[in-house]
Amino acid sequence: MIQNAISLMIAIPLIGAVISLFAGSKAKFVALIASFIPLVLSLQMYMEFDKSSKIMQFVESYNWVPSIGVKYTVGVDGIGFPLLLLSTIVSILVIIYSWGEGKKPNQYFALLLLNEVGVLGVFTALDFFLFYIFWEVVLIPMYFLIGAWGGPRKDYAAIKFFIYTHVASLVMLLAIFALYFTYSMPDGTRTFDMLTLLQATADKAIFPTGLLNIIFAGLLFGFLVKMPAFPFHTWLPDAHVEAPTAGSVVLAALLLKMGGYGIFRVIMPILPNVDKAWITVIAIIAVLSIVYGAFLALAQKDIKKLVAYSSVSHMGFVTLGAVAFTWMSIQGAMFQQFSHGIITCVLFMSAGTIQHVVGTRIIADLGGLADRMPKFAVIMMAGFMASLGLPGMSGFVAEFLVLTGSFATLPMYTMIVVFLSVATTAAYHLWAMQKVMFGPILKKYMNVHDPHSYELFSMGMIILLSLLFGIAPGLITDIMGTAAHQVMEPVVTLSQMGVI
Amino acid sequence: MEFAHYAPLWGEALLTVLAVLIVLLGSLMKNSGKLMGYLSLAGLVAALGLVSSNLTIPKPEIFFYDTISVDGLSQFFKAVFLIVSLLVVIASLSRYTGKGADEYFALLLLATVGMMVVASSIDLVTLFVGFELASLSTYSLAAFDKSKKNLEAAMKYFIFGSVSSAFMLFGFSLFYGMAGSTRLADVASTALSNFAPATAVALLFVIAGFAFKMALVPFHMWAPDTYEGAPPLVSALLAAGSKKMGFAAAFRVLIVALVALRMEWYLAFAILAALTMTLGNLAACWQNNVRRILAYSSIAQAGYIAIGFVVVGAAYGVAPITKFGGAAVPAAQLGIAGALLLILGHALMKTGAFIGTAQVASMVAKGNDKDPDDISNYAGLARRAPITAFCMLIFMFALAGIPPTAGYIGKFVLFSSAIYSGLVWLAVLAILNSALSLVYYLRIISYMYLREPVGPKVAESKGYVAALVLTMLAVVWIGVFPQGFIDWALQAAAVLLPQ
Repeated sequence: MIQNAISLMIAIPLIGAVISLFAGSKAKFVALIASFIPLVLSLQMYMEFDKSSKIMQFVESYNWVPSIGVKYTVGVDGIGFPLLLLSTIVSILVIIYSWGEGKKPNQYFALLLLNEVGVLGVFTALDFFLFYIFWEVVLIPMYFLIGAWGGPRKDYAAIKFFIYTHVASLVMLLAIFALYFTYSMPDGTRTFDMLTLLQATADKAIFPTGLLNIIFAGLLFGFLVKMPAFPFHTWLPDAHVEAPTAGSVVLAALLLKMGGYGIFRVIMPILPNVDKAWITVIAIIAVLSIVYGAFLALAQKDIKKLVAYSSVSHMGFVTLGAVAFTWMSIQGAMFQQFSHGIITCVLFMSAGTIQHVVGTRIIADLGGLADRMPKFAVIMMAGFMASLGLPGMSGFVAEFLVLTGSFATLPMYTMIVVFLSVATTAAYHLWAMQKVMFGPILKKYMNVHDPHSYELFSMGMIILLSLLFGIAPGLITDIMGTAAHQVMEPVVTLSQMGVI
Repeated sequence: MEFAHYAPLWGEALLTVLAVLIVLLGSLMKNSGKLMGYLSLAGLVAALGLVSSNLTIPKPEIFFYDTISVDGLSQFFKAVFLIVSLLVVIASLSRYTGKGADEYFALLLLATVGMMVVASSIDLVTLFVGFELASLSTYSLAAFDKSKKNLEAAMKYFIFGSVSSAFMLFGFSLFYGMAGSTRLADVASTALSNFAPATAVALLFVIAGFAFKMALVPFHMWAPDTYEGAPPLVSALLAAGSKKMGFAAAFRVLIVALVALRMEWYLAFAILAALTMTLGNLAACWQNNVRRILAYSSIAQAGYIAIGFVVVGAAYGVAPITKFGGAAVPAAQLGIAGALLLILGHALMKTGAFIGTAQVASMVAKGNDKDPDDISNYAGLARRAPITAFCMLIFMFALAGIPPTAGYIGKFVLFSSAIYSGLVWLAVLAILNSALSLVYYLRIISYMYLREPVGPKVAESKGYVAALVLTMLAVVWIGVFPQGFIDWALQAAAVLLPQ
């Protein structure tokens, strides 16, 4: 087993980012290598990962700022590991997809690598101080990706993205302070250790319900904005529409997952100890996100905006599955995170490819592209089918698990979702696909052709992955099933596990 | 004479002698500007070495009949002042080389000595003398380039400064009348045993006097004009050094008063802090002159730092004492430590940022007749002056409190102490302000990195680059390895609390 696998995984893209800054036009090769090594490491970790274990694995812990109880602690369990795997897969595929980037490629690839550093850190950090730093670091590369490579309204979109999500992070930070100052360890010292603090929230003597409600609200706000859930989703369409394709892909596939991860890691252990009214609140937010997101998608003229709103809708399933609090729904929600993470890549890549091959993304102006772009059409079709939940692909499994699991505890909400969103979701996917790809080819598009092979390769790989996890979901749901059990039990700290 | 007895004060002595020497040598030698610069540099490095050899002093050492105290707090501030002066001198090496450079460096050294005296004084008269030494030196520095703008800035600074000195002196005289002594400890104990209306009046005058120096709202009017008009490197000294002198004095005088008088006055400070940061940030959003933006951001940062005072008042006898890494730390100590960390961080970030504007004004904006500090000169700076732009980028993120930087650590400790002492509303206001400040920091960043350059690549001046890179490394270093700095600040903060 490789020592310090997680730290290596975080360090290599960081070093790669610095090198690629100075590598000029060779930056893409640096980026490829620097994202390939973490992929190999994560696959190696997958082989060694104990799927039936509910404790943290690959833990590393060092003192960092002992006087205020900060440690550098990283580790993964069933909650974090699938997302870590997702991050390494998506990062390298995005880099391959962007192979032809001609505008300041050294900075472009450095930012993509920096992004990978941030998300890997978020999914593995087990100390709130460290977690917050990675959480914030992610904003910087995304700000520059939108601001420098974005569309016409990039300035506005980049600043809106940064400030909106920064406010949410700061509110979360205040809640973390409250956790920190309320709980003191048996020897009187303070700690930022996530698991220890989360375990302590179960103690009514330390955290009375009134106080815990406030803390919970702060944390929940931080995560829901990131996810993003209705009514905090308004930053997302702007950021997505203006971002370059790779930025959109990373944003939807990885950054949104940080919000979902926060729900599982931080919100779920506290949920049983706060007012029951919170369950209703979160369930309503989830249902509104799913249904409203789907209807908004239906109304869009820009195919990228359509995909952006479909993300809001799909991420709602994560919230719904989590708050339903059954084993099946939680497992489904976790799988939805993973599945949406890969499927949304192909959707945003399709939108990006249409933009640069045809020159417009307005659905009404497109038509019959399949005639000239046959390979691309097949892949895009598969992606849209996966996204609308075609059986045999991963999206279906995830949403099926969530809906089936949620029906046991939240039947009314589930029924609303089934009646209002399933048909709508199918409608906007099929309508957009049909208008863009099929029908007679428009005269002005006689000269368009299939995109570059590296773009097709990235998208094809994702379709294969979606099929693989649709046919054999057990590859990853075994891990999530264990994690779902773990979420429903009280938190066990690292010292109780005997890992540190 | 027991020379060794005064070892903790050698730094001040060295700089004073050096300042006199530089003036003398300068009048004898021609074209000695470069030499004077290097002499000051060596002197500051030596003084910094002397101060840091006594960085943590377990028990305060008292000199000159109870007027000067060398303790953890004074050493903290002295280190901050020396670092700022050092960076300003490094940057000045390539700017002030010709005629008059000797005066420039001598004034700079004298200003530093004045600030160091303020940091150490535990007597009202000594405090005032130090204050005036630093102020008079900086008044003349502010007009040093003798342009019209300089003179206007210096005039404003001088008039406001004199008024604030008068306020302060009037407050001091009232204190003296009541206590019959100018020692801070006597003043505090008299005020404690006999709280007369005159005490309140005296305190009000003193607070007004300090607030001018700290540029707290509503005493902030002079700051943007002065920082904009003075030579950019002097602005760095004013914003990062001289302003912190106001805080050093305020910590000494006001915290003694706050703790001794057990006042519920902290609410007044809370409102002052809240107003200062909100107005500072709002005003900064509308500026187009980068130095004015930095000036308003500096006002906002003073508002954050003032949270330290509020925490001391709010935490008095309220919040429980808990341990951090073995030592018991009351909320008040954490609050002061947070303020100190932010002072250290802000001193570095602001020095760096103003040196950056100096670089732009002297190199990039040369040749066009626009205002050299106008934000349009920063367009595409990343390609025109990559090192300057990158350092400025780090300073902007640090000022906004993005981790892992010195600005983040300061805010982290300070805001957490506000939560600790139950000032949730103030903490929420402070973080909303932090987010608001991103509007103008990101604006500068987007000009530097996301706009097309307005001219060709320029040669970055070596002195500026050296100062910028050093500052930038320090800002990141504190953010990544905060342990030593947090301990240091906690230790310095302990000096102010009753044992």
